[in-house]
Amino acid sequence: MWKRILKMFIGLYLPLVALSLYVFASQKTKQITTLSEFQKRDVEIKKTYFLEQCNALLADTHYWANLEYPVNFDPMGKHTAFMDRYIELIKEITDYDQFRFIDLKGQELYRAVRNNADSITIGNLQNKENQQYVKEGLALNKDQLYLSQISLNREHGIIEKPNKPVIRAVAPIYDTTETRIGLVVINFKMKRVLDQLKSKVADTELYLLDENHRLISSSLHEEDLPYETGRVDNIFPNKLITSIKGITKDSTIIDDDHIWRMQPVILNGTKNSFGSISKPPSEIITPSNWYMIIEIPPRLLKKYLEPLYDSLITFNVIAIVGLLALCYVFQKKKTQKELFYKELESKNIMLTRNSDLLEENNVMVNEMNNSLEIRNKQLSDFNYLISHNLRSPVTSMSVIVDMIQKEKNPEILNQLLPKLDQIAKSITHLTEDINDYVSILDNQEVKIEDIDLKKLILEVKNEFTETLLDDTGFEVLINLDAWDHISYSKFYMQSIVHNFISNSIKYKRDNVASYIEFKSAIENKHKVLYVRDNGIGLNMERHGDNVFKLYKRFHRNISGKGMGLFLVKSQLDALNATITINSKEGVGTTFKLIF
Amino acid sequence: MIIKPNILLVDDDELYLYIMEKTIHQLSKDLVVSTFTDGEQAVEYISKCTDEKVELPEVIFLDINMPFLDGWGFLNEFKKLKDKIHNDVNIYMVSSSMRDSDIKRASDFEDLTGYVIKPVNKVQLAEIFKKIYHENW
Repeated sequence: MWKRILKMFIGLYLPLVALSLYVFASQKTKQITTLSEFQKRDVEIKKTYFLEQCNALLADTHYWANLEYPVNFDPMGKHTAFMDRYIELIKEITDYDQFRFIDLKGQELYRAVRNNADSITIGNLQNKENQQYVKEGLALNKDQLYLSQISLNREHGIIEKPNKPVIRAVAPIYDTTETRIGLVVINFKMKRVLDQLKSKVADTELYLLDENHRLISSSLHEEDLPYETGRVDNIFPNKLITSIKGITKDSTIIDDDHIWRMQPVILNGTKNSFGSISKPPSEIITPSNWYMIIEIPPRLLKKYLEPLYDSLITFNVIAIVGLLALCYVFQKKKTQKELFYKELESKNIMLTRNSDLLEENNVMVNEMNNSLEIRNKQLSDFNYLISHNLRSPVTSMSVIVDMIQKEKNPEILNQLLPKLDQIAKSITHLTEDINDYVSILDNQEVKIEDIDLKKLILEVKNEFTETLLDDTGFEVLINLDAWDHISYSKFYMQSIVHNFISNSIKYKRDNVASYIEFKSAIENKHKVLYVRDNGIGLNMERHGDNVFKLYKRFHRNISGKGMGLFLVKSQLDALNATITINSKEGVGTTFKLIF
Repeated sequence: MIIKPNILLVDDDELYLYIMEKTIHQLSKDLVVSTFTDGEQAVEYISKCTDEKVELPEVIFLDINMPFLDGWGFLNEFKKLKDKIHNDVNIYMVSSSMRDSDIKRASDFEDLTGYVIKPVNKVQLAEIFKKIYHENW
């Protein structure tokens, strides 16, 4: 039972679990796609923001580069008045950390350093000729702007504390005679920008990398530019490095439980006119492009996919419980049904058996009925025979006796008395005949046995002297090809054969070679015996009805009691056989016996 | 030359014939009675009568069970001869017992006047004769 339940359960559950897994997988993919779409928008917004910020500070630099400076520009000396106009501006723009002019040799001409939001310190000039940004700046053409790497601000070669991420924008400056006089260098504070980038809407991680895959900023680290502080080991997921190799455009990498969204931030080589129509656009030079990466970490993914997992598990648990219950109920019902059918079948078999038995009984009853009917008819015949044949002599007797009593005349009395004797004799004969008949009716004593018919006929034949003598011209022909053995009463059969031979001898025709023939046949599965002679025959029209009746005689000149064929029929009836006759006067008679 | 009898008795029981004859003669000495012991003889007699144009007896008492030709057989033969018969013949079926089947069969023969049960007594005979001869016997 449990095995069947388990089998059915597996059969039902497997496709269900496959389906649920398929739905789960497709839902998961859909979720991830949706997530990465959000991510894409997120990274785009941030990239745009970052680019806008960069362009804003480039625009500032562009502004400074396009001022017409006095010849022999000396902002700290004779041209302080010129600078006074701009000092307030420099002070106002809080993103400016430092604002400097540097001459063509790398010596600072002007230096304004921010102390806090509303104060700056001017002066304290330094030589910056060895700085990379100075070298890059001096190499610039007129319409070029340089934007440095984002780096931590150093004073006298030492990283300023707290960490101050800055980016330097550099541009060449010219005096009124179009003579290059030096560079304008602005240090922009990047903390605000980077913090903005790292601000989280969702629980995603953000990374900003340069082309050398150095981490500039990441939401994993509070401090910016960790590589510059020398902490480069293990701060960055190794997977990310291998994943982004060769990425040049916006792309998504799904790795294990992470989704990486990468967006290259390219400024190098781009041109920008900063809103000016009259001046040619400036080309922007940067030492490196950036990559902005947003990572959806496993924990977020898990959080998004959790309901999906939950529903998968819930569905499967419900499916398992439900299916198990269903299988149990179904199998139980099935077992009950099978039991019921088995019972039904055995009952059916019993019924069939009973039916067979009934049919047998029916056949038996039918047979009994048949024989009872025959017996009834025989009894009725007997009754008639007795009442008819016995009654007439008895009534005659009573009449004679009555006459004798009344008669006085002795002469007549002498006539009457012999009549009584006559009556007595006829009654005696009748009683004898009835005896014969009753012995046939009472077939309880009849013994059924296998009879060799040919042997029996030959035996009976020898009882007749006529057949023993060759010259009488009477022959008994035996033709028993179809059958020659039969179960019957030997006594009856002898009597029947005796009567046929006796009759055919008694009623043979003169002047012909007389014979009687016994011929066997099978008709409709019944054994049939034809008894045919070439005797004088009978008028069937006159006597057909009476042939087998008692005391019927049809030939006046030939002695007979009128009992032979009556007995033959009785003996056949007693054992359920039938007899019919066909005869023609002057030709012969054929009896047909059906057993 | 055949003498025409008044009454014909056909029965194989000779004692019955004897008794009937006696009884009839007790009723009337004038009635002529002829007897036959089977139907065949009776038929032969009747055909002889028709051949010689002798009138048939007025009454025939006919037994059913007889050898050679029984009462029914006689009636069949009688039917065939009927065209040649010119006077009224009353045939009474006589039997020691009448079965239902016999009564039914008897009704099929319109030549039958009636049937009587053996033994036929004087009173019955007198009634029959009264009906046929109308006191003229």
